[in-house]
Amino acid sequence: MAKDQSAGVPRNGQLDNDSTTFKSVEKERWTMDSQQKSILGDVSARTIKTTEAARKVRAFTKGISQKAHEAAAAGEPIAYCFIMSLHDEILRSMDITPIWTENYAAISSVKRQAERFISKAEADGYARDLCTYCTINIGFDALRQECGGIPPESPDGGMEKPTVMLGTGMMICDPRYKSYQIAQRYSDVPMYVHGLLWPPADAKVAEVQDYYVKYLTEELRGLVDFLEKHTNKKMDWDRLNDTIDLSNRTIQVWHDAYELRKAVPAPMPTEDAMNTMVPGHFWMGTQQAFDFYQDLYNELKQRVADKVGVIPEEKYRILWAAGLPPWFALAIFNYFESLGAVFPMETTYHPPVPVEIPSSAKHPLERLAWRFFRQWTYRHEAAQRRSGDPAVEQVLDMIEDYKIDGILAHRAATCRTVHVGQIHLMNVLKDYCNLPTLILESDICDVQAFDDAGTMAKIDSFVDLLEANKQTKRNA
Amino acid sequence: MAEEALAKVDKICQERDSRAKELKGEGKKVVGYFCAYVPAEILTAAGLVPYRITGNINEPISKADAYVETIMCPFVRNCFDKAIRGEYSFLNGFIVPHSCDNVVKIYDIWKYNLKPEYSHFLNVPHTTTKASMEFFKAELGTFKKSIEDLVGREISSGELNDAIKLHNEQRALIKELYEFRKQDPPLISGSEVMKTMVAISKIPVQDSNDLLKGVISDIKGRSSSPFAKLPRLMIYGPEIDDVPFIEMVEETGANVVIDDICLGTKSHWWDVEITPDPLDGIAEAYLDKINCSRTYRQRWGTRDEDLDSRFGYLRRFAQDYNVNGVFLYIIKYCDNYEFDAIDIKDYLEKAGFPGLVVEGDYTAMSIEWLKTRVQAFLEMVS
Repeated sequence: MAKDQSAGVPRNGQLDNDSTTFKSVEKERWTMDSQQKSILGDVSARTIKTTEAARKVRAFTKGISQKAHEAAAAGEPIAYCFIMSLHDEILRSMDITPIWTENYAAISSVKRQAERFISKAEADGYARDLCTYCTINIGFDALRQECGGIPPESPDGGMEKPTVMLGTGMMICDPRYKSYQIAQRYSDVPMYVHGLLWPPADAKVAEVQDYYVKYLTEELRGLVDFLEKHTNKKMDWDRLNDTIDLSNRTIQVWHDAYELRKAVPAPMPTEDAMNTMVPGHFWMGTQQAFDFYQDLYNELKQRVADKVGVIPEEKYRILWAAGLPPWFALAIFNYFESLGAVFPMETTYHPPVPVEIPSSAKHPLERLAWRFFRQWTYRHEAAQRRSGDPAVEQVLDMIEDYKIDGILAHRAATCRTVHVGQIHLMNVLKDYCNLPTLILESDICDVQAFDDAGTMAKIDSFVDLLEANKQTKRNA
Repeated sequence: MAEEALAKVDKICQERDSRAKELKGEGKKVVGYFCAYVPAEILTAAGLVPYRITGNINEPISKADAYVETIMCPFVRNCFDKAIRGEYSFLNGFIVPHSCDNVVKIYDIWKYNLKPEYSHFLNVPHTTTKASMEFFKAELGTFKKSIEDLVGREISSGELNDAIKLHNEQRALIKELYEFRKQDPPLISGSEVMKTMVAISKIPVQDSNDLLKGVISDIKGRSSSPFAKLPRLMIYGPEIDDVPFIEMVEETGANVVIDDICLGTKSHWWDVEITPDPLDGIAEAYLDKINCSRTYRQRWGTRDEDLDSRFGYLRRFAQDYNVNGVFLYIIKYCDNYEFDAIDIKDYLEKAGFPGLVVEGDYTAMSIEWLKTRVQAFLEMVS
């Protein structure tokens, strides 16, 4: 009988005490006083979550490491991997336990443990301007080798040594495979990279789709062959088909739940979404992930019906339009909220759009390939009709759907993948809408890149601009 | 005896666009491209003028900051800065291959802001599997079709094969030129080679082959090396087109005798095989024969065997050209090269070739900063 791959996650996972400073401060939290300024002033402060669902997420993140510890103890295979790489269903269906290394880097950052790993990588020759998800992982692996086991006091018990490392050659994010080549300095284990490409925004999608899907399918087949060879696990194709079906239902309910966030007042903010993405991106293909989003859907539906918002008086609605968040300083959202601004939606970690997989696609790998291809070309046609850029189209859609007053991006200094192109995005948006924009600068994991006072000053000025813009509209 | 071809090389390097503009004036279409992964053979076969896009380290960024982030590869930013200042307005179009994150990112930005007559993004897999090869051939078919649309006619297999032969001839001439570097001291300096490589990237392949033959003739005319016997170095790095860097290294007290950079061996140390369907030969050459850190070849064997498979060609360069040390010159924010640098340094040192990893930001100023490190390294290998 197949094992339950999400056994490490409690069905109704409760947030452990060390993961949040959430308290019963609903009445006090909106008061703009000096103490709240210090929430951002002290970047060790954690974000305050709004939804019950977001508070359950810590169990999922802890479950990733816990599951790996159990697998290691039992001698079961473990794979290093990155998100959004089509590994999810395949690994779940083969009883191979994933360690999502970038997730572990983010946890290390939240736990203020990142610096020792980044410093170790730097000491070994890897510059601080490389992706800090990767330098944290490299530094951790280096220390694990030096210690002959998990480095002491590692968050969540550390990352187990993997059986295999799985990179992906995507359109963007070269560190997904380059960093694992470096990790092999410290853990000499088999490695495989499969290609995941989609056509550029100006491609004639119908003319290229067949060879793209064929390529994606064959690359996945190579991945399965590699896993069978190096883990002693056999793929159960029927089980993979069932897992894909479950994932598709999960994507749908996740998408439907987020659609409810169009409501005014906003029922769920972006700081929650930076948590509620965890089951979707790290537990996809499990019943627990589906149940999580079903619960989230129900909770948001009730909040919308009761007109319960993130903050009592919602003055400004801001779109998180680009960039990974500074994981060590998610409290910036709470600072915005203290000024009457809420983030009803974000493009980052947004659920994949539910797409139709052609009925002609029978083999599960082909189904995965079609789903991937259609998700990544979903807005190509709209882009070709207007801005030329699917990312711009997504933002323009969200501005309208979520009644947005201003646009914000966060630029992480160490990641070119997601953070080069933000200026262009903002420039193009100005050709189609006239909203205030702001780009904050720091990093995903390196707290040293965070300028506390400068960030607050930028936010203050931006909110002033939002107010001025509203005044202008009111007077027009 | 006057070295006329080398003088011509100097002139082209000073006026990099002059020949392309001249040909445009004659009614030809000039298409710019980034990186080693665009098969210029297809452009040549279509009667277009391929023009490799490069930057200028002596020109500080003046306008690009309003369009692209400072965390982007400074080489790519510099190229875009030139474009947005109008210096590439003579190009009829531009082609961007999927080589690395930085190059991928510039495609949309360039296209939106400069609105060229023709633009194309060539998708290149990161892996070299059978599926990747089949995909890349199909993608080359799409690329060829777009070029045919631009020129308004089909490109025949015969035209493609003729172009492949011309470009293979260019590569053979480059290898012949590099032979002069094996002597100690070399008959040709590293900066002379660098200038030649820059020059041939700016002119049609037929012109470049004539120029290379002239340079080879010039060098053959040297009865002995005009250079001092100094430590022999290999330069490893990405898109380096800055002659001043090589000049600085040589003026500091070394002979640069071999390279693994994008304008050098990386783009020219292999041939395209003539195959019944020319796209087969082109796909195989451009996907599997270019040694760039952006391409992942599935690991086999032990880690040592894997390292030998990835970097053995560098060891062979070092041995064949009898180098005393290796500069790994990484351009800031070039993540792929930065990730590989330490493995390469360790690998080559294990093989007996000391290495130094240095980082530049594609500015003339950074070259001055690097001088001290170069001096220290040369003292060590001397």
